[in-house]
Amino acid sequence: MHHSKAHIWFVWPAIILMIVILILPIFLAGGISFTNYNLGNSSFEWVGTENYEKMFSRKTYIKMIISTATYVLIVVPVSVVLGLVAAIMLNSLRFGADIYKTIFFLPVMATLLAMAIAWEFTLHPTLGIINSYLANGCGGIREFILGFHWLPWVSSEDSWYSVACANNMDFPYWLKDKKTAIWTICFIGVWQAFGFNMVLYLAGLTSIPRELYHAAEMDGAQSTWEQFKLVTWPMLGPTTLFVVTITTIRSFQVFDTIEILTKGGPAKTTYVMMYAIFEKAIQQNITSIGAAITVVFIIFIILLTFFQRYVIEKRVHY
Amino acid sequence: MLARHYIGESWKHGLLIIGALIVLIPFYMMVSMSLKSQQEIQSISGGLVGAQEIQTFPVCTKHGYTEEVCTMRPYKYNFWFAFKKAPIPRYLMNGLIVTVSIFLIQVLIALPCSYALAKLRFKGREFVFSMVLFCLLIPVHAIALPLYVMLAKAGLVDTYAALIIPWTISVFGIFLMRQFFMTVPDELIDAARMDGMGEYSIVWKVMLPVAIPALLAFAIFSVVAHWNDYFWPRIVITGNRDLFTPPLGIREFRGGIDSDEFGPMMASIVTVTIPLIVAFIVAQKRFVEGITMTGMK
Repeated sequence: MHHSKAHIWFVWPAIILMIVILILPIFLAGGISFTNYNLGNSSFEWVGTENYEKMFSRKTYIKMIISTATYVLIVVPVSVVLGLVAAIMLNSLRFGADIYKTIFFLPVMATLLAMAIAWEFTLHPTLGIINSYLANGCGGIREFILGFHWLPWVSSEDSWYSVACANNMDFPYWLKDKKTAIWTICFIGVWQAFGFNMVLYLAGLTSIPRELYHAAEMDGAQSTWEQFKLVTWPMLGPTTLFVVTITTIRSFQVFDTIEILTKGGPAKTTYVMMYAIFEKAIQQNITSIGAAITVVFIIFIILLTFFQRYVIEKRVHY
Repeated sequence: MLARHYIGESWKHGLLIIGALIVLIPFYMMVSMSLKSQQEIQSISGGLVGAQEIQTFPVCTKHGYTEEVCTMRPYKYNFWFAFKKAPIPRYLMNGLIVTVSIFLIQVLIALPCSYALAKLRFKGREFVFSMVLFCLLIPVHAIALPLYVMLAKAGLVDTYAALIIPWTISVFGIFLMRQFFMTVPDELIDAARMDGMGEYSIVWKVMLPVAIPALLAFAIFSVVAHWNDYFWPRIVITGNRDLFTPPLGIREFRGGIDSDEFGPMMASIVTVTIPLIVAFIVAQKRFVEGITMTGMK
């Protein structure tokens, strides 16, 4: 093997930057979280675990944890399943797959902030095309389909659609109503994320050898569903693991849509962690509590990745 | 059998078309609003492009322009007025400066490091690599607050440096390149050494050209992420308009949603969003490859 001192100059810049930019800040956040330090103050005192106690007892932060968990637990499974379904459907098409792929991938590429504003207008109670579309459909086929009148147990009087039509077009306010805001934010999250998952699943599907399907057929797996259970799903194990991990980490970091659309409201129903850090530490300059949230946030993410990489990974290799 | 196949296929197309329409709704809304007049937007009429009647725009005359200047078709007015109100070219330029600098510095740091990790034997190599693997777990957005404190202490808030520094180290880039260099045969490097090349020239004259496909994928990944990033610029750029990146510009246009005109606002948003979307549609294959290649690890 070659001997030279070159590696020192090759490796050290990266090592120094890793330490200063990625590792040091974690310890800094840890340190600040046990003080009452605020940016701009010249002195600070150690306050022990006070910031953490605040975090786990005050209503605001409990709401923060609830809305973050809601967002992650909705967006991850829905966008992963939608991505998988879209990939399988596209993979079995004989023409047109490329067009759908481009369209479904557009939200991944487009600047999320711009798209959030576009959604804001789309869902606007008076200017938006969604509510005007719903209002124009009162008494027609849209009311029948979207009001679930085709389900035997939904009577046409008390479906949400008919009630709204009867009450002077009282359709949901989406982002402005505390009952619907978080779900609307989740919907935008899924809208943005599923195309990315679809592309990863498409790559995963092409790597499954055709022979496996023939073999499964020989073994009596005739229906598409049985073949999916026997071949596709297990073979996609590593892809699924990766897709779930990356979607989870990204969902934990949701910020753009919240800041532009709801600012954590109404009634803190969309008060997710990244927004809490931003609001407390940057806007209100309460650095110490922001640091405590940061620490909890980092622990969440590191535990999650460790769990997925080292525990589940053992089970998904076939 | 064949008929059954076609029925199965059209059923799928039906579902996929519904899905595609839902995905496209906000894009439709965005483009449509950027073309129509304020009255058409508020009454939700005029379809995609509106009637495009020549008219005089009151907000424009209020800004001190003559009536003659302010009389034109809505689509023209929206874009014209958007450029009058905000320094859009400046925002796009900033976006370019920041994303390109980030990418170049990332490569400058990551390429030699990943070459050393893949092809040189030295003490502590395993340790450095496990450090890279550990750092892969840390999303930079999650440690934004302590980074912000550090940059504020260094007096770097509201500078280009603040926008670039946290992203100069891409552990992901190191990892990706290292995996790529592992597949490069040792003979290539040995031959270069025989020719009397030093390690530095090997990195930049032998490994760099070899790594172009991986670098291209990484470039797409990096540029897309930082062009679209809103969180970090929002934190470190507090008011200096000259440093606004495209997403910060977008935020500023939105400003007063109830007071201002929607047409010019959407026109500016369309202008800022379009470069990346056009690049994506033109080089779609590369983009998807880039994202999946960097995605699959």
